[in-house]
Amino acid sequence: MVETAFELVPVIALLPFVSFLIALFAGEFARKMLPKGGALPGILATGGSLLLSLWAFVTVSGGKTYHESIVWVAGDGTFDLHLGVFVDPLSAMMLVIVSLVAFLVHIFSLGYMNDEGETGLPRYYAGLGLFSFSMLSFVFADNLLMAFMFFELVGLCSYLLIGFWFREQGPPSAAKKAFLVTRFGDYFFLIGVVGVFATFGTAQFVGDHSFPHMAQQALEEGTTEGITTLFGLDPQAWFAVLGLLVLGGVVGKSAQFPLHTWLPDAMEGPTPVSALIHAATMVAAGVYLVARMYGFYAMLPTVLAIIAFVGGFTALFAATMGVVKDEIKQVLAYSTISQYGYMMLGLGAGGYVAATFHLMTHAFFKALLFLGAGSVIIAMHHNEDMWDMGGLKERMPVTYWTFLSGSLALAGIVPFAGFWSKDEVLYTALVHGMENPILLGAYAMGLLAVFFTGFYTFRMVLLTFHGEPRTDTARDPHGVGWNVKFPLVVLGILAATVGLVNMTPVAEATGMHIEFLHQWLSGPLHATNAHFYEELVVGSFGEAAHLSPLLPGAVSLGLALAGAGLAWTLYSAPSPARHTEKLGSAKTLLFNNYYQDEYQVWLAEGVTLPFARAADKFDQGVIDGVVNGVSSVSLFGGSRIKRIQSGIVTNYALMLVLSFVVLLVFLGITGGWF
Amino acid sequence: MVVPIENYLLLSAAVFCTGLFGILTRRNALMFLISVELMLNAANINLVAFSHYHGSVTGQTFSLFTLALAAAEVAVGIGIILVLYRNFNDVDVTKATTMRW
Repeated sequence: MVETAFELVPVIALLPFVSFLIALFAGEFARKMLPKGGALPGILATGGSLLLSLWAFVTVSGGKTYHESIVWVAGDGTFDLHLGVFVDPLSAMMLVIVSLVAFLVHIFSLGYMNDEGETGLPRYYAGLGLFSFSMLSFVFADNLLMAFMFFELVGLCSYLLIGFWFREQGPPSAAKKAFLVTRFGDYFFLIGVVGVFATFGTAQFVGDHSFPHMAQQALEEGTTEGITTLFGLDPQAWFAVLGLLVLGGVVGKSAQFPLHTWLPDAMEGPTPVSALIHAATMVAAGVYLVARMYGFYAMLPTVLAIIAFVGGFTALFAATMGVVKDEIKQVLAYSTISQYGYMMLGLGAGGYVAATFHLMTHAFFKALLFLGAGSVIIAMHHNEDMWDMGGLKERMPVTYWTFLSGSLALAGIVPFAGFWSKDEVLYTALVHGMENPILLGAYAMGLLAVFFTGFYTFRMVLLTFHGEPRTDTARDPHGVGWNVKFPLVVLGILAATVGLVNMTPVAEATGMHIEFLHQWLSGPLHATNAHFYEELVVGSFGEAAHLSPLLPGAVSLGLALAGAGLAWTLYSAPSPARHTEKLGSAKTLLFNNYYQDEYQVWLAEGVTLPFARAADKFDQGVIDGVVNGVSSVSLFGGSRIKRIQSGIVTNYALMLVLSFVVLLVFLGITGGWF
Repeated sequence: MVVPIENYLLLSAAVFCTGLFGILTRRNALMFLISVELMLNAANINLVAFSHYHGSVTGQTFSLFTLALAAAEVAVGIGIILVLYRNFNDVDVTKATTMRW
């Protein structure tokens, strides 16, 4: 039984791939054979993946892990390239999350795409299938190269799906932006992968011959056998360089500052796609990668501090931008950036469990919020402006209550999921930050972001659902069917309850052992064990300060409530006023997202483009000039010298004779005949 | 009567230079052939002279080979000249210049 569950793990990924193929080929050649435009194969496939993932999850709970790989490219006298399956608590948990969210998104798409009479559905479901396949394969990848390959596939799928409505103006350009910005980060990731291979000769995540293990040996015992560092750096510094290179891909995919600009634009895609991208696939891939190779990062305090600081900064930065947005999906987009900032903060501060916990809770409540927003958008006939909504609470109660559950989780109000995980992230940052000013700064920014999160979340809820309806559409919204409500209810319950699996403050206060996620992640395999990571982090940052989690928890809860309360006082009126004007010039700054897009466009057009032009000139002028010069010299020389081929035999004879005479004279002089 | 070897060599050189002069100055292909014959026979004179001088017959034997070679060469040469005449209506070698640059 145990073996079967694990041997079926590749099938988890292959099922959505089959649905992708079905949607692709049946959509092209036999559209009549494809009921619901390909939704049914997709639902069945992801449902099957979910069941198999749950089975694998239960099997891992029984204290088993699984690692199997095949040689994909055999190296002659050098390393081999592998494709493998690695199932441990982290990947088992992520498999369940991804397949569950994908399953619910497929069902929701019935309501959002099919019932709304969209065209091109087979293309849409093919995209979803490939997306789920790529992400699931990425999750159980056992080495960095395989992870990179599926990381790229995930990027490709997001490009295809964001640009689904390619006939309109916005989506294609948003898709291109998402692709290019993440590609910029992935470029560093690619160099990092090559660097890891060059350094360790392997890219395996686990095992004796794995790069985290070899790095640990090198750093702790100084055994540098089989390790080549480049540029004359010592192992510590060189590993930090490698870690930062791989982090480039993470920053791009997980939309961290400064590569976050693609994510708000990606809202141009269909809303279920946004839910999938933000909750479980694309954006989660970055953070998951850091968690996957945490054994490597945990030994590098510099890189950890950078991760934490970037994360904390992004959390605050994105939260402030979310405060002024008018469109419901834009608010959610900035909240995603901000929440992934928290995860990075957690990972950087050494909170492997905390960050993984937040990854899980966020997957549920963010999928819920996006699907809820999708439901609202259906009801509002695809108008996303919150100022045209209002009063939807009575008209769509299921959406309202589930959305509220997700909002409470996002804002971090006890006892909803987000509170427990965000609190644990902040607590970890604090206990490690007592000694480390960078971590403390990151913690302060994360803490401040809690206030903004509470504010923009409840501003969104109040503007959308409360007060009086502000337009005719809001007065008489379009109804939504079961296929919208079912995913919402499932996720709504999860968003409310999933945080209970790891109630650190309660465990601390009562002394009960109820930190189930912590126990789960301290699973059977030593190399990816949370305790082992903690030891490594202690080795990097020193012993964590002993603080009670109660007070920090209370502070963050207080800030969240303060933010929510401020939103309530400003926007709970029946017809709320726009208060953004009061912000003055800050409002313009926030509306323009701190001019991030502008400066990146300037970087591209003002710096890169002239540089590229100069390089082109150099190439065309100097490099090609030398080559062309050489060839024109021989051309010219040839055109002159060929004249001696006169065609007159006498001339040839003369030349023969003269040459012979010259040769004779030469030989005579050098041979000393005279 | 013993003729010193220098006389043979001088004769040979004179004949060879006559042949060379013919090749470099004549335009008629038949004269070319005759000049080549002269040069070959100059070489033959040398062979026979040295053969006699050393008292061995090897050089004379070689001169026989050279004669056979000269006959073959003339056969080929006449063939070429015939084709030349057929294509250019002339045996003037300076006219046949189609195979230049």
